[in-house]
Amino acid sequence: MKYIIFLLKSALEDFSHNKGRTILTSLGILIGVLSVVLVIAFGLGLRKYVENQFESLGANLIFVMPGNKKTILQGGGMMGGIKFDEKDVNNIKRVSNISYLAPVFVKTGAMIEAEGKSEVVEVVASNEEIIGVMNLELEEGRLIEKKDIQKGQKIILLHLSMAEKLFISSDLALGNNVVIDKQNYKVIGILKSKGGGGLGGGDMDAHVYIPFKASYSFNPEKKYYGLYFKADSKENVFIVKDTVQKILEKRYDKDDFSVMEQSELMDTVSSIFNIINTVLIAIAAISLVVGGVGIMNIMYVTVTERIKEIGIRRALGARKKDILYQFITESVTLSLLGGLMGLGLAEIIVLLIQSLFPAYINLSSVLLALGVSSAIGIIFGVFPAKKAADLSPIDAIRYE
Amino acid sequence: MIHLKNVWKEYQLDKEIIFSSLKAINLKIEKGEFSSIIGPSGSGKSTLMHVIGLLDKPSKGEILIEGKDISKLDDDQISTLRNEFVGFVFQQFNLIPKLTILENILIPTVYARKKLNYDPKEKAMELINNFGLAGKEKSYPNKISGGQQQRVAIARALIMNPRLILADEPTGNLDTKTGEDILKLLHNLHEKKGITVLLVTHDPKIADKTERKIKIVDGEIV
Repeated sequence: MKYIIFLLKSALEDFSHNKGRTILTSLGILIGVLSVVLVIAFGLGLRKYVENQFESLGANLIFVMPGNKKTILQGGGMMGGIKFDEKDVNNIKRVSNISYLAPVFVKTGAMIEAEGKSEVVEVVASNEEIIGVMNLELEEGRLIEKKDIQKGQKIILLHLSMAEKLFISSDLALGNNVVIDKQNYKVIGILKSKGGGGLGGGDMDAHVYIPFKASYSFNPEKKYYGLYFKADSKENVFIVKDTVQKILEKRYDKDDFSVMEQSELMDTVSSIFNIINTVLIAIAAISLVVGGVGIMNIMYVTVTERIKEIGIRRALGARKKDILYQFITESVTLSLLGGLMGLGLAEIIVLLIQSLFPAYINLSSVLLALGVSSAIGIIFGVFPAKKAADLSPIDAIRYE
Repeated sequence: MIHLKNVWKEYQLDKEIIFSSLKAINLKIEKGEFSSIIGPSGSGKSTLMHVIGLLDKPSKGEILIEGKDISKLDDDQISTLRNEFVGFVFQQFNLIPKLTILENILIPTVYARKKLNYDPKEKAMELINNFGLAGKEKSYPNKISGGQQQRVAIARALIMNPRLILADEPTGNLDTKTGEDILKLLHNLHEKKGITVLLVTHDPKIADKTERKIKIVDGEIV
């Protein structure tokens, strides 16, 4: 212990005699650690951002679709295949831990017309629980309610951006009619924009919502294309999924339908982010190596300057390893100093941009930064230190 | 205590030319001696002292310290002997400039492998006071006189309670008066503490004050 204090003290003493040099040398490590930690922090922030986007689509969302997972991911399954009916809905309703259940019929690529303008939309015909399943929020007007569903009212909900495209402003849209498949639908509510998520689900703002019964003109079979529902908590997603799978297997072949969850989609996206992030970290790490070379350079200079001191210490009983440890302690302290400053600066930058971007520094990046800077101190310090330790005591003490 | 048997120190100057700094040295230093190695510059007296002090290795021959053959020891063990057995005093003082007087005196204790049966700091302060350096413990070497620096160096040589003090021209960088004080100090250590002292000098007047003179010319004892 006393020995470690001695090593640290002698390292710090040397720094205080060469303040400018110490700061410049640790600057290399500072920049390296700063860039690596920032890249990690931004990567973590980006992932969090994407996760939030997914959650805005509805956290704990589970959906049942016709076809197996492969065909669904290829965009098939929407045509043909099995369709679900009221019996399936009632079976799933009995499953516990489901907070919302919305059987849906989806008409993709439908034309919506108003005021002589037309747009391509995805018509989602469902019940009032679709609001909860998709986390829809009202901007103006009102939402579809249970009584609307029962009556099969020809009413429709548009996202704000869609309403503005068709009617210029949302005020003009409310209470007016839009035409889908030659049928008139009255706009009763404007939904807040979800933004163009574009990830897997297409543009969320191009979704329009109508009561299920109002879709009979283009859904003559009166069946459901899919079943969307939500588990009441993250922990229950798996069990709910599993239960629904078993229920449906009693009626259908397991290749004819799939029970999927948001997180499966999210995992794919995360793995892409991980690859990009790793590449960026590797690039940032190059600057760490450059910083390490800077330390090595300065350590060689330090050793040369202190040959006489090394000789004196050897004459007074220092072993080779005492000299070795002394110089390695110095290079590690130098590197750690840079690492700590880099970490501190990264923390400040992250705090400053927090309001714009959810970047954050986690414990493992702190440990990584400190670990890597110590390792650099050792790796790049060991050669100069070895040189110092291997000096012959008598040559060293005579050195002027 | 120290026994040199047929010790040679040779340097390869050129492909063909070998320079012998020490030639077939046979020498015994007994416990409690106060001796001097005297010779003109270039005679090999410093080399002899470095070999005795284990700072340098002989090319040929045997060195026995308390009967132990040094050539059989590894670097760590030799370092330990330098730490515990010998105390060096150099002509150039060889204090570390960035350390205070007290820190300089304590250096050998940092490298001590044996458990010291005294408090190093207390002992250092005692030496500082005995050597007329009181109040200087926090000063740096460049702030005190040459004579004071040499006394610090002697204090540092004594901190580990060595058996042998090796002093290489200890008065060489000092004026006559100060030099005499330093010699008196070494004499006292020898007389009162029974420490073996080996002094290297080119000055016969200094050598005359020692009990035994070992004269060396061209690498040979005469």
